[in-house]
Amino acid sequence: MDRLNNILLWAGLGCFALSFLLSGLYPYLITDGKTPEASIRELAEDVSSDFRLLKEAYPIDFARAFPEGVNALTDPELATIAADDPRRGQSEDAWKNAYARALRDGRDLYIAEACWHCHSQYVRPVGNEVERFGPVRTTAEDNNALQRPVLWGTRRVGPDLTHEGGKRSNDWHIAHLRNPRSTSPDSVMPAYTWYFRRGFQIRRGVSSETAEREGIPADQSYPYPGLYDTKAEAEVALEKLKSSLSSNLEEEAERMFVAEGSGPDGDALALVAYLQWLGTWSPKTAEASK
Amino acid sequence: MNSIPLESPEGTSNLVSKRLVLWHFVAAMFFLLTAMGWGFLISLQFFNLYPFDDISWLSYGRVRLLHTNEIAYGFLVNGFLGCLYYAIPRLTGRTVLNEKLGYLIFLVWQVTMVLTSIGQLLGKGQAVEWGETPTGFRPGSFDLNFVPVDALIAVGALLVAFQFLTPIAKSLHKRMYVSLWYMSAGFVWLILTYLMGNILAEWTLPGSSGAATVGLFIHDLVGLFVTPMGWGLMYFFVPTILRRPIWSHALSVIGFWALAFFYPLNGVHHFLLSSIPMSVQYGAVISTIAVEIVVTTVVVNFFGTMWGHGYALRKSLPIRWFYTGMILYFVTCLQCAFQTTLTVQEIIHFTDWVPGHAHLVMLGVFSFWILGIMTWLWPRLTGREWYSRRLLGWHYWLSAIGVVIMFLDLLSAGLVHGFMAKALVPWRDIIMALKPFWGIRIFAGGMIITGQALFAWNLLQTARGSRAYDYRMDLLTPEAA
Ligand code: HEC
Repeated sequence: MDRLNNILLWAGLGCFALSFLLSGLYPYLITDGKTPEASIRELAEDVSSDFRLLKEAYPIDFARAFPEGVNALTDPELATIAADDPRRGQSEDAWKNAYARALRDGRDLYIAEACWHCHSQYVRPVGNEVERFGPVRTTAEDNNALQRPVLWGTRRVGPDLTHEGGKRSNDWHIAHLRNPRSTSPDSVMPAYTWYFRRGFQIRRGVSSETAEREGIPADQSYPYPGLYDTKAEAEVALEKLKSSLSSNLEEEAERMFVAEGSGPDGDALALVAYLQWLGTWSPKTAEASK
Repeated sequence: MNSIPLESPEGTSNLVSKRLVLWHFVAAMFFLLTAMGWGFLISLQFFNLYPFDDISWLSYGRVRLLHTNEIAYGFLVNGFLGCLYYAIPRLTGRTVLNEKLGYLIFLVWQVTMVLTSIGQLLGKGQAVEWGETPTGFRPGSFDLNFVPVDALIAVGALLVAFQFLTPIAKSLHKRMYVSLWYMSAGFVWLILTYLMGNILAEWTLPGSSGAATVGLFIHDLVGLFVTPMGWGLMYFFVPTILRRPIWSHALSVIGFWALAFFYPLNGVHHFLLSSIPMSVQYGAVISTIAVEIVVTTVVVNFFGTMWGHGYALRKSLPIRWFYTGMILYFVTCLQCAFQTTLTVQEIIHFTDWVPGHAHLVMLGVFSFWILGIMTWLWPRLTGREWYSRRLLGWHYWLSAIGVVIMFLDLLSAGLVHGFMAKALVPWRDIIMALKPFWGIRIFAGGMIITGQALFAWNLLQTARGSRAYDYRMDLLTPEAA
């Protein structure tokens, strides 16, 4: 290779290197490079009440997915389900570990389903976006392990999710994931039915007086938390529940029964935990809560 | 420029491995049809007509990844490789490094594509736009969850570089024609770009500096691989078919170096008005506008070459594909110069305007060039006369009209979306306002796919046909052909 070609080869590589220096390394050095990236565990320092509520509403699937969050002293029922899991703990630290794993799994699912191709996680200071979605994010707020790879997105078929945490209830998210049209008519978001499983629930019917008074169908019934794998398990649980009721509720117990049902599995719970986390963490609040 | 040897039965057949060209073209057609099929499928989601709502691995989001990745790595790369196996031996007067290596590369590439598709359907795609090929690891950690396809692609790209850079290096004692500039740079840039985008954003750079790198990756993949390959091929095939030298060699070299300098500085314009430092954003805006000047020199050069020979547009279908692509290229780049300004960004970013722009570049420009080259080469590779020249015409018109409709439709949708969003209209009403546009997109997509299906059928019937291709046709100028 003669000299000219040599120079030109380096010039070509030089152009590439220059661009990386100017638009990759330089912004890194003056922003994220100055502070360490927050680990997922650090992001999970403040366990949200929404996450704790997920355990109340979906105890069995929660215990299976996040055994760390199951406390053997206060949840003897649940503890038997995950008894042989070494990660099971009883402290607030265990909750944080469970939360950290939920956030990580939720983020992974957010990537797996390419939610990031329809939703952005970056609010711009123009176009009334601050009014619609909330404050603009700073570099420090995005300098964390859940934003690596970055999930800013480039397209908004659905709304921005930067500040989604706490905007809606857990139940809204669960219903929305199962069928977006149920909560948002005309939505073009896909349904995520495979994060729901079938099983058996304990339900309680309404009394005929209530049905008449409230104008609801007489065969209306409401589920108790917990989705059991088999009918037998559900029936055992039902017997236990009935025997724990005080005697003045006997009439209620009469109306309890076991029926087929379906509910979110551990993945759906992780996804909801992640959505409810979005926008709730910042280095400032983390510093203050220490 | 040395005169480029013409195809003839004896001619240069010992230089070019026709079978490799043919195989890559067949693979390219396969991925073109499947990728467009996926695209059509996901466009139905926007009308809530998606047929596989309950099947996780055929869900919208996962199929969305296949649509772009099979076009980028399945169609464009296979198409380019086919064309390069034809062009580079002719440009250098030497065979590629090794024909057997060619079959190995072919195999590696198709395995990569199949693994990418399977991985993405299983939800193992990576969150790097245009680089969603599975890393094989859980995001940002080293827990293995799938085959590390990214590594396989890097190996494939390295083999490709060896395969083609060898004949180029061997012929360096001659003055290098601009095609070889573009191509050799493209091979090296591809490897660097690929590693940068897929490794740094995954393992080292979070948040805004990650976004800056991803922006660079998105842009470099198009600007430093697809564009150089495309122009390199145009600089070879246009003079070959027109049988005229390129208008200005000086201009062609200016075009190349301006691309090498300005294109890679554009990356950050994919995340404007973000928390990336403003100085970096302004730099990207300015160099994006500068690219428009580069593009103009190149386009002027090609129109200079064509000057006075406009009849070729009517007579020669390949030339028509090429120049349609160039006009659309000019349109996209002009669009770039405007849409990169923060004023326009405010409205159009996050909307359908952007996919509209992307379809024009990827389909209307680079795919059109590859399709044009295929149209020119296919009878020469198979030795068979076209099954139907009329179908070739249909292919062109369905594709060209289809892509223009889709482009204008998505552009309008983007403006509607952008202004409604700014006016704080409820999201549900924005969706309702966009549905008619999404309907037109389904229609335009249908047109484009029909065109490609006709072309595939024509290719197949031609290869199976019995009428021999008359090589004397090659000695005629397009005027007479
Ligand atoms: C086809 C594009 C598309 C995909 C893919 C998609 N969404 Fe949506 N999403 C929408 C649209 C449109 C809306 C607005 C209408 C609605 O509420 O359903 C929306 C709304 C939402 C909302 C409600 C935001 C709010 O507070 O109003 C959440 C949360 C959400 N999506 C989460 C997700 C998650 C999680 C995924 C991936 C598992 C996902 N989306 C995938 C299009 C999409």
